[in-house]
Amino acid sequence: MVDALSEIRRVLVPNGTLIDLRPFAEQWQIEVASTNEFEETGRVLDLPEQVNGDIAANEAMKEVETRRWFTRDAEEFFPFFYSWDTPSEMEEFIEEDWADFINVSDETKKATRSAWALGNADSRVRVRMKVLLSRWKKL
Amino acid sequence: MSLQRDPERNEIDRLRKYVDVHGRRILEVGCGEGRLTWKYAKWAKTTIAIDLDHDSLRVARVDRPYDLEDQVHLACADSQYLPFSKEKFDIAILAWSL
Repeated sequence: MVDALSEIRRVLVPNGTLIDLRPFAEQWQIEVASTNEFEETGRVLDLPEQVNGDIAANEAMKEVETRRWFTRDAEEFFPFFYSWDTPSEMEEFIEEDWADFINVSDETKKATRSAWALGNADSRVRVRMKVLLSRWKKL
Repeated sequence: MSLQRDPERNEIDRLRKYVDVHGRRILEVGCGEGRLTWKYAKWAKTTIAIDLDHDSLRVARVDRPYDLEDQVHLACADSQYLPFSKEKFDIAILAWSL
């Protein structure tokens, strides 16, 4: 990661801007949501690959700050939703695409299916991810 | 499948809040299928969007809006060996790729 950041620094103009945008593991909330309301039905379980990836990325950014390649001048966390029509579509997606990163307990799956079945006609199922945006200036 | 990613557009709203891409030369690292790229590239001078995944880049090439064909260039490249001369970009975006 530090090698990539070194390359990015090389191709940026003096005082150029680096935006680091990435999801942050934090046992993301699973929700059943309709137009005007949402209900939390459980949380995902973070697997080691996801957590270790965050640690490595944070350490890389700390390293470039220590080396005075970049300085951070802004940072914000914000919600980013992945949303599906049905609980089964969510479960299928997580098993196919995120199996290395997160897991969902049977208890949470059951709670989500139940809340969705009792929800409004426009109810969808979603994962509320936590995403970090940080802005850095090249030194 | 009915998947929607960021239907509330929080990501592009935050990007716009923290960086002005107007007239700038952008390098996007980890563009994937171009989900984020298409939302800001119209206002940039040029965007070079790179990824290592050929399948994702293939989708991005197919989905690239016609009016961005001259502005957005997609390439398979490794961020550890960027095939560009120094000080070529005003802004670099690490798009879920660190």
